[in-house]
Amino acid sequence: MVPLSMSRAGETVVVSTICGTGYLAKTLGQLGIITGIELEIIQKAKESVIVRIGESRYALGAGAASMVLVEPLS
Amino acid sequence: MKEIRILLAGNPNVGKTTLFNTICGVHQHTGNYPGVTVEIKEGNRQHDEYTLIISDLPGTYSLSACTPDEQVARDALLTSSPDCIVQIIDATNIERNLFLTTQLMELGLPMVIALNMCDLADKQDILIDTPCLAKHLEIPVVRIIARTGEGVDELLNTILHETSTKTSRSHTKVPYPPTVAAHIAQLEGYLCAHTVLGGSVSPHYAAIRLVEGDEHLYALIREQGCTLPFIDSADPAERDGIAEDILLARYTFAEKVAACSVQCTMGRVMPADLIDQVLTDRIFAIPIFLSCMWFAFQLTFSASNPFLVGIEKTFEYFTSRISSVDMDPFMRSFLSDGVIGGVGSVLVFIPSIFVMFLILSILEDTGYLARAAFVMDRLMHSVGLHGRSFIPFLIGFGCNVPAIMATRTLQSKKDRIITILTIPFMSCTARLPVYVLFAGVFFGTAAGNVIFFLYVLGILVAILSAMIFRRLVFRDEPSPFIMELPPYRRPSGFAALVHMWFKGKEYLKRAGIVIFAGVLFVWALASLPVGVEYGSAQSLAGIGGHLLEPFFVPLGFSWQLVVGLIFGFIAKEVVVGSLGTLYGGEEMLQSSLAADPSLKALSESLVI
Repeated sequence: MVPLSMSRAGETVVVSTICGTGYLAKTLGQLGIITGIELEIIQKAKESVIVRIGESRYALGAGAASMVLVEPLS
Repeated sequence: MKEIRILLAGNPNVGKTTLFNTICGVHQHTGNYPGVTVEIKEGNRQHDEYTLIISDLPGTYSLSACTPDEQVARDALLTSSPDCIVQIIDATNIERNLFLTTQLMELGLPMVIALNMCDLADKQDILIDTPCLAKHLEIPVVRIIARTGEGVDELLNTILHETSTKTSRSHTKVPYPPTVAAHIAQLEGYLCAHTVLGGSVSPHYAAIRLVEGDEHLYALIREQGCTLPFIDSADPAERDGIAEDILLARYTFAEKVAACSVQCTMGRVMPADLIDQVLTDRIFAIPIFLSCMWFAFQLTFSASNPFLVGIEKTFEYFTSRISSVDMDPFMRSFLSDGVIGGVGSVLVFIPSIFVMFLILSILEDTGYLARAAFVMDRLMHSVGLHGRSFIPFLIGFGCNVPAIMATRTLQSKKDRIITILTIPFMSCTARLPVYVLFAGVFFGTAAGNVIFFLYVLGILVAILSAMIFRRLVFRDEPSPFIMELPPYRRPSGFAALVHMWFKGKEYLKRAGIVIFAGVLFVWALASLPVGVEYGSAQSLAGIGGHLLEPFFVPLGFSWQLVVGLIFGFIAKEVVVGSLGTLYGGEEMLQSSLAADPSLKALSESLVI
C-alpha cells in the first residue's frame, strides 16, 4: 500500500484507503474516488498527479494525493 | 399566461451554460458573472402558451455543498420550489453524472434529464439506450446537442408534459441496505409528523440527507429545537459508517444503471491522455503556459487596438464640434471635459476588457485553463496559495473587480481571503496608462522595459504578501487541490461571445458608473468655484492639493500629483485624465510633467 503521491505514471492502481473523513474525503467521494475504485495514473509531476477513472480525469495536488493510499495492480 | 419555473442542474463542464444560452438567447440577466458561473443566472423563453423562467445553477457534483458555488446551487434547489428540475448529463460520461441524479431524484420534484453532447458520444462509439435509462430512473430522458440546439424543442415539450401532469413525483429509489433504510424511514416518519422545516423540503429527502451527515440541514433543524431520533443518539463512528454505506449505495446504483443502458467499445486510444501528458509535462508545462498567456495578452492588445483608435477618434470629433459651437465657457467645459471626457474614460477600456473575456472564455471552453491551474498549483502552493487562485489572478491583469468576484470558486475561506488581498497587486489594464505616462517621462526609450518590470514587480509583491499572510495571519496549509479536468472540446464561438457580452456588460455596469462619476467629480473639483481657470491653483482641486502637499513633500510630489493620487483611489482610470486636467491638457502632459521642478529632480536622480 503506497500513497498515490508516490506511485508512478502509467500505473493502474486500486484505492485501498482514504485517510481522514473531513473535507478532503468528502470531495474525493463526490468525484467517485472511493475505496475499491480503479485509477489510471496519467501524469505525475513531483507529488501531484492526474488520474483517470473511466472517462473522467482529475488533478490532485500533493496534499490530496498523499491522503489516498493505493495498491498497484500488476 | 402560465409561468413555469425550471432549474438547470448538473456537474461542472457538462454544457449547462451552453444549453441555457441556447434556450434563453439574450433574454437573460445575472447578478454576477465572474470567471465561471457562480451566481444564479435567470432567463426566460416563450414556449407554446407558457413562459418558462429558467435558472442556471452553478455546476455541482453533489448536494453536499463543499464550495460556495455548490452551496448556491443546493440552496436554490431546496428553497425555490421549482416546477421542474432539468439535469444536464454529459453523454460521454454518464456513470459519474448519475451520482448527482441519485440525490436530485430524492427531492421528489418533476424532473427531466437532458443527455447532452450526444454527438461526441456517437463519435466515441458510446451507445446509449435512452429508453432503458429513462425506465431505470423513472425520469424522462431527452437527447440534445446544446451547442447546435438539436433536441432542445423536444426537451421543452417534455418539461411541459412533466409539469402539466403532476406537481410532485416519485422516481426510482436508490436501494439502501436494510439497516440504513430503517433509519431513514424512522427519521422520515418523525419529520412528517412534526412538519419540520415548514414543509418546504421533502421529508424523504431530508431524512436521507440527515442520515448521510448533512450538517447544514442538521443545523437548520436544530435551530427549531427538535431532537432527532438516531442522529442525536448514534455515536459518530456509526454515523460515519452509515454515511459511507449511503455513498456506496449511490455509486452502485449509478454503476448498475449505466451498465445496462450504456455500451461502449473499449480499448480505443485516448488522445486526451497524450495531450494531458504534454501540457502538464515537468519540462514543457511552464513554457507552454507562459507562451499561451503571452499570446493571449498580445492578442488582447492587438485585437482591441483598432476599436480603441476608433473610439478615440470619435471623441476627438465630438470635442472639436463642441468647441466650435458658441456657448457659455463653463457649459462647454462641462460638456467636453466632464461628460465627454467621462464617457471616453469608460469606453477606452471596453475593447480590451471585452477581448480579454472572450479569450479567457475560449481558453476555458477548450479545457486548457483547468490544466493550467494544475500546472500552476505546484508554484502557487509553494507561496501559500491554492492552484485555483491562478484564474482570478489572471483576470486581475485585465481588471481587479471581476478578478475578486471570481475568487468565489475557492473552497476555503482563508484561501479566498489571501487571494482577494493579493489580487490588487496585479497590474490591471487601468494602470497601464499611468505606467506609460510616467515611464515615458522618466525613462524615455527604456520605458517599455520599465513597464514590463513594473508588471513583474506587482507579481513579486503579490507573492511576497501572500507568503506573509500565510505565515503570519492565516496559518493553515492551502486547502488540498482536487479538480476535475474537463475533456478537451472545440469551443463554441456563440457561447464565447455570449459569455463575453455578459461579463463585459457586468463590468460596464459596475465599474463604468464609478469611473464616470469619478471623472465628473474631478471635473467639478477642477472647475469650481465658477469662474476659476480650469484646474488652476484657485480651483477646489488646487486648494485641496495645496493643503495636502506638505504630507507628500518627502516623496517629492507637487500638488497636482497629490490630487492625481487621491483621484486614483476612486478609479485608476481617472488618474491620467485628471493629471491632464491639472497640468492643462493631455497633449502637454508629458512635457509639463518633465518640466515639473519636483519631478525633474526625481527623474534626474533616477536616471543616474
